[in-house]
Amino acid sequence: MAASLTRLLERSLRTTHAPQSSVRLFSNGSQKQQQQQPEVEDEEEFRVLNLRPVKQQFQRRRDIRRDDVTPPRTTRMAVDQDWTAAWPGPRSFHPASVPLPLRQGFTERGAAAPSKFANAELMKIPNFLHLTPPAIRQQCEAIKKFCTPWPKGLETEAKWKPHFPVEVITTDYCQSLPTVRNPEARRVTVSLKLSDLKFDNHARDKFLRLVGERYNKETDVLTFVTDRCPLRKQNYDYALYLLTACYHESFVTEPWEATKSEADMELYLFERNQAKRSAEAILNWNAAEGAPKKAASASYAQCVEQLINEGENEYNLAKYKEEVMKMLNVAAQ
Amino acid sequence: MYLSRQLRLLPKASIGRSITTSSTHYTTTTGTPATPAVEHIEIPNRIERSPTDILKALASTVGRDHTAPHYKYHDDPFLIPMSNMAKRTYAMSKEAGRKAAKWIKEEHRELFLHQEAQPAIEKFAPSMVYTEESEVDESSLGQLIELGELKDAVLVYNLLEQKGMTVSPELKQSLLELVCFHNNQDPLPEEYIEERWFLQNNQRRERHGKTWKDGDLAEKLYAEIEPKTPQTYAALIRGMAKYLQCERAYALLQEAGEKQIQLDTNTYNSIIQIISFLKDNAEQRWQLCTELLQQMSQQKLRPNLGTLNAILQCISTFGNFKLARSSALKVLPEFKQLGVSPSLGSYYYLLIIFCRERGPVSHVIVDILNEIAGREFTVEHPKDTYFFATAMDVCRNHLNDKALAKKVNELLHTGNNYDLVGDSFKESIYYRNYLALLCQTESIEDFMLTYDLLVPNIYIPEPGIMEEVLRTIEINAAVEHVPRIWSDMVVFDHTHRESLLLYVLRIMVDNRPNAETPSQAQLPEQCAKVALDMYNKIEESVRRIKKVSFTGQMLGDILTLLVRGDNYEKANEVFSHIDKNQHRIPGTPAESALQEYVEASIKEKSPSQALAALQYAVDNNMESSVIAKRIHDGFTLNETHLAKLKSLVGESFLEK
Repeated sequence: MAASLTRLLERSLRTTHAPQSSVRLFSNGSQKQQQQQPEVEDEEEFRVLNLRPVKQQFQRRRDIRRDDVTPPRTTRMAVDQDWTAAWPGPRSFHPASVPLPLRQGFTERGAAAPSKFANAELMKIPNFLHLTPPAIRQQCEAIKKFCTPWPKGLETEAKWKPHFPVEVITTDYCQSLPTVRNPEARRVTVSLKLSDLKFDNHARDKFLRLVGERYNKETDVLTFVTDRCPLRKQNYDYALYLLTACYHESFVTEPWEATKSEADMELYLFERNQAKRSAEAILNWNAAEGAPKKAASASYAQCVEQLINEGENEYNLAKYKEEVMKMLNVAAQ
Repeated sequence: MYLSRQLRLLPKASIGRSITTSSTHYTTTTGTPATPAVEHIEIPNRIERSPTDILKALASTVGRDHTAPHYKYHDDPFLIPMSNMAKRTYAMSKEAGRKAAKWIKEEHRELFLHQEAQPAIEKFAPSMVYTEESEVDESSLGQLIELGELKDAVLVYNLLEQKGMTVSPELKQSLLELVCFHNNQDPLPEEYIEERWFLQNNQRRERHGKTWKDGDLAEKLYAEIEPKTPQTYAALIRGMAKYLQCERAYALLQEAGEKQIQLDTNTYNSIIQIISFLKDNAEQRWQLCTELLQQMSQQKLRPNLGTLNAILQCISTFGNFKLARSSALKVLPEFKQLGVSPSLGSYYYLLIIFCRERGPVSHVIVDILNEIAGREFTVEHPKDTYFFATAMDVCRNHLNDKALAKKVNELLHTGNNYDLVGDSFKESIYYRNYLALLCQTESIEDFMLTYDLLVPNIYIPEPGIMEEVLRTIEINAAVEHVPRIWSDMVVFDHTHRESLLLYVLRIMVDNRPNAETPSQAQLPEQCAKVALDMYNKIEESVRRIKKVSFTGQMLGDILTLLVRGDNYEKANEVFSHIDKNQHRIPGTPAESALQEYVEASIKEKSPSQALAALQYAVDNNMESSVIAKRIHDGFTLNETHLAKLKSLVGESFLEK
């Protein structure tokens, strides 16, 4: 097409003697133009700058007769038609099939927004014409026969949580690729609240160390995410295995656990620490040799532990102050 | 990518289970809620479903959109086919694209070796090419026969023969069966559905001519297989019968009978099907049929649906009505006793036996429809697809019964019965008869409702049906539908039919629209538009092959409509066309047309036009006195006009 155009242009450039460039129009003066373009003789008329005098030729050749196009089928749609039949699935917007006079887009002030035909804005955005309330109702009715009623007595989360403490999350993927398989689909997430498991102190501590980051302290939720096996079933079995293994391991005390030092301790215990020694030292400062050692009071011990374990806040500090004063018999002033 | 997260709460079980809340199995350290009441919680079983059940349930909610084209066409105003030719072209071109793709894949097979799909799709892999030098053995022949690749199998067989490798008799038997079934020519591949859908004419050809290849590979194979097993005989007999090599097929059957070889039911069925080619007379055919059936019963062969349909086919070729009917009535109860239930094909044969054109009227279709109403059918016999078209034909031509036609239509639309409509030819026959029947028997409003539903996406009427519709409109004087019908005619490319054009004009001219009724308020304008459209089309069609030429009558009607539609300029144009081309236009416009034109000129106050009309009338020996009088009364004419009037009609008029 381009080649034929250039050929036409060449021919026209060769054949016409009309001024071929704007420069010549101005430089040669009016006489030559008057000779070459005798049509424009009226001096009062403004001379139109005609850069491409052969443009008419092109336009004539391009006048192809096309058959009339039928009007869009929205004109034939009944007002009470079954819309679910007309737009059954998600589809990018098609103006000739949607009988709504939609307009979208920015225009200058005062002008109407662009109409729906050839409107890229309307085509880009997702539309939910396939999910009108009647369509949803129809589809729900159709699927109802596969549904069983929700068990009575398990209406709220509080009610079913005790029966079903463990949550298993798996994901299925739908994609338009040659293959239906997706490696992400093998991932399994098993979660439960730690409060649903029975522990004693040592077991709890050991369990939490074993599990590490999988335990969320704020929400008390333990989560296992497994994807090391190629199949979902295998990952699920592995997750349950991990849970069981950790739980049972946490009750077993290994001999090397005795080597737990102060740096490994997860909680501050008054018994083991310097505070006790310091307190006793202070209390027994003037004691004679052989006299029974005064120990720090239990409430003092507990309050120190609370202060260090829970952190400093108003309450803990105030309590500590009270206990210290009580212990040293310092009267409150 | 859509994600669906499946939240499953343990414990998972496949049987329904109930939970009793007992004491603290899963105790929390923070304390259980204070309701230790023992409740019995029933968890129902999961309802089993196959992987696609939900999809099928959702799909069943989607009805038919009557304004949309078939889903194989692109849904765009520019690309919706609006004529039968266009439908065929678009569908076949789409398929041509598929064929081109397949060709490219075969031609450049080294570029298409990747298998990205999991599991791998065999159709995407390049197919095996067997050449003269390929290394082949029996197993590859076996595989090719399994896949039904006729050409390749024959090639491989020939290669094996050349190399002198022996082929086992079973394999030869399978190859014989394959070759006989296809008559040693590759069938149209099943994936070319559009070609199969539009394949119309081959059936008629095949019904009459023998196409069996004598002396070809099938018979060679047959000769090679020693000893001849019953299956060998069966394969060759069936092949010959299928491709209408009747004499030899029958001869082989008799030979098999003499050698006491036990054949099977389907072989006998294929011979029964060709009885009409073996014998000419109805009595002889029936006799042969009964003979064969007796042979079958002697050999303890149980008849099946194929037998029933073959017998009915044979009976349908009888010229003798009485014999045909009585035999059919004898055959049916016997087969019912044997437990063979008839298929749609059997009903088709019954219809063509009982409801013949020149025979007495038979209401067998009523009984048939009562029996099969509401049933869902699948294809059981090749002739099943003929039923619906024939049933509608009977309803229209034989019985002219609208209720029956509606019953047939309902049956067609139950379940998946629409699959049995056959191909595009049968579908068009079906709807042609349906619409023709409805337009004759229903009120125009109801008919137009059905018309709106079917046209243009399901069925595009032929010019003959258009004429029927126009006739109905004329009878009912429902002129308001004419513009719609006209636009349909333009779209479906019926405008080269002169009779139709004349009919449309006639209807519009004869029924003057009543300005009071709201539906007809815009009618004069619309009629004028239609007339103008027609005028333009005929003008343009001068360049085309199938051109319509103007007649005087036609132009007169157009003129009338333009005048009624108050389009005076165009009326002038048309009249000047009539005037200038008097020598080329056969006939003259009707007198009423000219009179109306003159009335309009009087209204528009253009006496020159009126005088031109008078001149034309005088030139063509038409009744000009009335016109002249009207002109004289209607205008106050000046000198020139009066002079002209005088010159045309003479002095006498002026005195009156």
